[in-house]
Amino acid sequence: MEASVLLYGLVNSAVLMLTALGFSLTFGLSGVANFAHGSLYLAAGFIAWMILHYLGLPFMLSVVLTIIIVGILGAAMYRYILMPVRGIALSEVIATFAVGVAILEFFRWAGFVTYDFNLPSFVKGGVEIAGVDVDYQRVIIIGIGAGLAALLWYFSHKTKIGLALRGMAQDEYTALSLGIDSDWAAAISVGLGAALAAVAGLAILPLGLISINIGYDVLLIALAVTVLGGLESTTGLMVGSLILGFASVITANYLGPQWSEVVYLVAIVVVLAIKPSGLFGKFKELEERV
Amino acid sequence: MKRWTLTIWVLALIASLTVGLIGCSSQTATPSPTAASTKKESAPTEKPASPATPKAGEPKTSDTASKPSGQPIVLGVPTALGTIEGADSLRAVQLAVEEINAKGGVSVGGVKRPFEVVSIDTREAEAGTPTNDALAATEKLITEKKPNAIVVGAFRSEVFLASMDLIAKYKLPYITSIAMTPEFEKKMQAEPEKYKYFFRTGLNAPYLVGNLIKVMEFTGKKFSFKKVYFINQDVAWAKGTSDALEKWAKANGWEVVGHDAYPTGSSDFSSSLNKAKSGGAQLVVPIFDMPQSGVLVKQAKSVKLQALIAGFISPAAPGTAWKAFDGEVAGLVNFLFENGSMPVKAVPKSVAFVENYGKKYGEEQKQKLSGHGPGPAYDSVYVLAAAIEKAGSVDADAVVSALEKTDTDGVIGKIKFNKDHQVIYGTNPKETAISTAFQWKAPGVRVPVFPEAAAEAEIELTK
Repeated sequence: MEASVLLYGLVNSAVLMLTALGFSLTFGLSGVANFAHGSLYLAAGFIAWMILHYLGLPFMLSVVLTIIIVGILGAAMYRYILMPVRGIALSEVIATFAVGVAILEFFRWAGFVTYDFNLPSFVKGGVEIAGVDVDYQRVIIIGIGAGLAALLWYFSHKTKIGLALRGMAQDEYTALSLGIDSDWAAAISVGLGAALAAVAGLAILPLGLISINIGYDVLLIALAVTVLGGLESTTGLMVGSLILGFASVITANYLGPQWSEVVYLVAIVVVLAIKPSGLFGKFKELEERV
Repeated sequence: MKRWTLTIWVLALIASLTVGLIGCSSQTATPSPTAASTKKESAPTEKPASPATPKAGEPKTSDTASKPSGQPIVLGVPTALGTIEGADSLRAVQLAVEEINAKGGVSVGGVKRPFEVVSIDTREAEAGTPTNDALAATEKLITEKKPNAIVVGAFRSEVFLASMDLIAKYKLPYITSIAMTPEFEKKMQAEPEKYKYFFRTGLNAPYLVGNLIKVMEFTGKKFSFKKVYFINQDVAWAKGTSDALEKWAKANGWEVVGHDAYPTGSSDFSSSLNKAKSGGAQLVVPIFDMPQSGVLVKQAKSVKLQALIAGFISPAAPGTAWKAFDGEVAGLVNFLFENGSMPVKAVPKSVAFVENYGKKYGEEQKQKLSGHGPGPAYDSVYVLAAAIEKAGSVDADAVVSALEKTDTDGVIGKIKFNKDHQVIYGTNPKETAISTAFQWKAPGVRVPVFPEAAAEAEIELTK
């Protein structure tokens, strides 16, 4: 049982990190709290399903196309909806939340409520690790999560574009004086966050069915992980995912699965009460930002 | 600034074209239940004349029939049309209405009157919809469309119970087929005169528990199973069902390896499945009606759980589940709450119903028929038509008296109401209505395995 808790705790942590990665990255690079994150995650699932079933394209091509489309949707959302309210944090939250609800309700209206929406696993089958059976898809999720976190850290800390985006997030006026276009930077970061939401959806959704309410759950998870770890911190994201991932699995195993979601809500409340900037938040207190 | 704006425009154009292309090629796209709900049945154009209740397999139309000429009898359908159960139930009602109208309508005092369906989406299954909103939608339908009776009715039990006082005020015959709460019978017993307008053709929770107990007894005897694990959705009906089963299991010599409840929306059942595996559970009984629960069987395969899974997982009930889950539902024993959503030879009317449903709505919709709601919704219309003919009027009190004497065959089996106006469910379709359990078998067929009187094969253990 302990081996099972360890392994599935790790898997769950990777799922949480992957789920929250786009949300955290967008906020860290542009200061935009994208409350449409869960809807973009869900939209990726439905778009990939449509490409697979209606166009009949190979799965991996569907995955690539979906990531591109959702990334563009994210950038377009910034350009046409967020840009007019840029800098007014509350308006940004309201606008992104409204877009998110609109996307979810669109799919509900369009009839995406049946039990047919299921994405295939990247690789079928499973493997036994320390006496515990786990399917390949979960192992792949751990790999994708770790790989993307490393890649994004490198992108945001070592590349010119990444540094420009971070500079914009730290001090917009100084960045502007150095020739960095703030709208360009924000659109790139929102688009990149949306694309990461798509990657997360396409990796995680094969573990379950695609259903509308997932959009709301994903937003809750993303908020819990990033609030716990610190909204703009990659290290915080990883630590927050590990804490919540293991806490959730331990709770499910020893108290009952019905309590596992409470862990996320408790984490948000406790962190906001004790350390609003999160465990690894560096720049500003959360209350100043959102 | 201009450079990236231009780039966004170009990329957005590509995205629009892609989405458009997908839309254009989506000839088999899932039809919108919302669209179905707003569609009104057109007046019948064919000329039948036989009695309202057709025989099994009988053609829908007859050249000798007369066209209904009287004022329409309006049937109201206030339910959660965004749900699969609600949308399928409305379609089943529309099918029954079309069949009855095609045969000349309902004979009321010598006048042939057609049925007309009016519906409203109460959205009660959606998170955050308060009971009051669902009641307001129901009352809107009643006051604006003035139905003579209501079929299908509330989706959620709490809405149904709250509806009882509203409907009692309007004195409308109300035949419900989705809400399962046993509190209905308690209210009926407390104030029979006030609530006499209510009938239920759908299954109630105690009958569901009884059926699941019978399956547990059967597997206990046949395979010498003694270790069971219960997994349920953390909602009232599923929790109540699982708790009652656990109580019965403990009292009857079963070892309960574990019992877990999952919040609605959960999609990772690995902790319970791993515990079931390490505890040596031989039987796993899941009780779920949320979309994510479909992957439970898939995950059980991933952790190489050897136990038989027998219970209720709504996404694994439709005929499309085999394809949706890549055949990983093989071996699952799943309940259809009421007979009717797949053809069962022992109930000939179910064979005709499914066939006619497929003709009207297409093969895909036929395969997707929900295991809860459509059968009793379809039967409700026929039962109501027969009661109106017997009463000779649409007067609610007269129709209620006639409904109480119902004794007919339907797609759910024999239809008779008990003193609390609940259709009696049992195990012999010649004597009572039945629930059907089927087992998924390769190459993707659902084989009825319970009750014995309707079974077409025995439960098999799969590796």
